[in-house]
Amino acid sequence: MQYMLLIHEDESVYAGDNGASLLEATLAGHMKLIEDLSSKGVEFSGNRLKDASTATTIRYENGGEGSLHDGPFAETHEELGGYYVIEAADHDEAVRWARMIPIPGKGAVEIRPVWQD
Amino acid sequence: MAGLAQALADARPRVIAALAAQLRDLDLAEEAFSAACEAALGEPAPIRDPAAWTYVTARRRALDMLRKREREARAIANLPEPDIMGDVITFPEPIPDDRLRLLFTCCHPALGQEARIGLALRVICGVSVARIARAFFVTEPAMFQRVTRAKAKIKAADIPFETPPPGEWESRVGTVLETIEVGLGIAYRDAAGVGDTAGLAPELERLAGLLAELMPDEAEAHGLLALVSLVRSREAARVDATGTMVPLSQQDVALWDRARIEVGRAALDRANALAKPGPVQVLAAIHLTHAMRCETGRTDWRAILRLYDGLLQFRSNRVVAINRAVAIGRAKSPCDGLAALEELDSENLAGFLPFHAARADLLARAGRREEACAEYDAALALEPEAAEARFLSARRAAMQAPD
Repeated sequence: MQYMLLIHEDESVYAGDNGASLLEATLAGHMKLIEDLSSKGVEFSGNRLKDASTATTIRYENGGEGSLHDGPFAETHEELGGYYVIEAADHDEAVRWARMIPIPGKGAVEIRPVWQD
Repeated sequence: MAGLAQALADARPRVIAALAAQLRDLDLAEEAFSAACEAALGEPAPIRDPAAWTYVTARRRALDMLRKREREARAIANLPEPDIMGDVITFPEPIPDDRLRLLFTCCHPALGQEARIGLALRVICGVSVARIARAFFVTEPAMFQRVTRAKAKIKAADIPFETPPPGEWESRVGTVLETIEVGLGIAYRDAAGVGDTAGLAPELERLAGLLAELMPDEAEAHGLLALVSLVRSREAARVDATGTMVPLSQQDVALWDRARIEVGRAALDRANALAKPGPVQVLAAIHLTHAMRCETGRTDWRAILRLYDGLLQFRSNRVVAINRAVAIGRAKSPCDGLAALEELDSENLAGFLPFHAARADLLARAGRREEACAEYDAALALEPEAAEARFLSARRAAMQAPD
C-alpha cells in the first residue's frame, strides 16, 4: 500500500543563529533516508516545499467559487514543509520509515494511506 | 442446544482471530463468524467439533461475501483456494492460534487510546458494546463509534495483524494487560459470572497465560496471570445457593479452587523475582493475601491495607481509594474507614455503586443502622446486577431486624 508522509515543521528553527547548520543537518538526514529507501528498493517520491509564506490558499465556505487568501491553510506554528509518498508493506513499515524523517525542532509527521482502488 | 451455544461462544476468540488474521478485516471476520454460528445452531446433525466446524464454515462464508464485493479482490488473493477445503466437516484442519496477534493489533498505538480496550474486548471476546460502555462510564453510541472507527482505521491504513517485535512492546503491553484487567471486571460484574459474559473469564485466563509465556521478562504479565488465577479461584464461592452474592471476606474457603490459588502464587513469585513492581502485581498480592485465609483461617487486613497504600502510589483512582477505606474499616475500625471515605471527593462519588455499597457496610459495622439503611437504598437505586442486589437487600433487611 502507498502511504503519504506529510512533514509539518516549525520553519523558524532554520532562521535562528545556527539555522544554516541545522538546515544542513536536516537535508543530510533526508539524503540518508533517500539512500536507504533506494538501497532497500522501496518505491517512493517526495518533495521539499518552499516556505509557508509563499503559500496561497483558496477557501470555500459553502462550495461555490472560493476566495484566494495569502498564506497556508492551517494556522499553526508547524507548517507543511514537504512530503514523501512511499510503497510500504503495511502501516507499521510506513511508520518505521516516517520515524527516519529528521525533525530538528517542534513538528510532526502525519502518515496517511493513499486511496487506491 | 445450550451446550452448542456455549461451545460456539468459547470458540469465538480463536476463530475470530484466525479469520481476522487471514481476512485483515475485523467486520468481515465478525460477520462471517455470526453467520457460521447461525448455521451451526440450525444444523440438524450433531457437530462433533464446533470450533473447527465454525471456523471452516465461517471462512467459506467470508469467501462468498468477498466474492460479492469485487473491491475486495486483493484480500481474496491472500486466501487459500476454495477447492482445497474439501470435505471440511470430516477433515477439519487445526485452527491457527492468532489470538495474541489480534490482541496486539487491537491495542496498536495508532488507534485511539480510548478505543483500543473496547475494540479488543468486543472483537476477541465478543463482549457487547453496551457492557463495554458501562465499564468505561460512557454512552453506548459513543463506545460504538469508537470501536467502529478503530476497525475502519485498521482496514484503511493496513495496520498489520502481527505480534510486534519486542522493541515495540513497550508502547502496547500496558494496553494489552489493561484489556484483560478491564475484561475481568466485566466478567465478574455479575457476581454469579453467568449470562452473556459467561465464558469470558476462562478466555481471559487463557490470554493471560499466553501473554506471560510470550513475555517471560515482563513482571506485570506474570502479575496479571496471578490476578486472573486468584480471582477465578473463588468462582464457586461468589454466589450462594439462593443466588445471593457472598462478599470475599465471608466466602466459604472450602469452595475455593486451591490449584488456581497455587498457580496465582507461583506466577506472583515469578513476577517478584523480576524485581519490577507494578500495579497489577500489587493488586494480585492483595488477592493472594485474601486467599491465604484458606490456610490461616483469618484475613490479614493490616497487610491488605499496606498493599492498598502501595497501590495508591501507582493508581490514584476512586476504586482503589474506596477499597482502601474498606481495608481501613477492617484493619482499624469502621469509624476510621468512614473517615477515610469522607476524605474522598464525595460529590464525584455520589451515584457510584461501590462507594454507596462500601459506605453502607461501614455504617452497618459502626452500628449506625438508620444511616446504613439509607445508604443501602442509595446503592440499590443504582440497579446493581441481580446477585449483588439480593445481597444488598438482605443486608438492609438485617438492619431493621430486632437484635
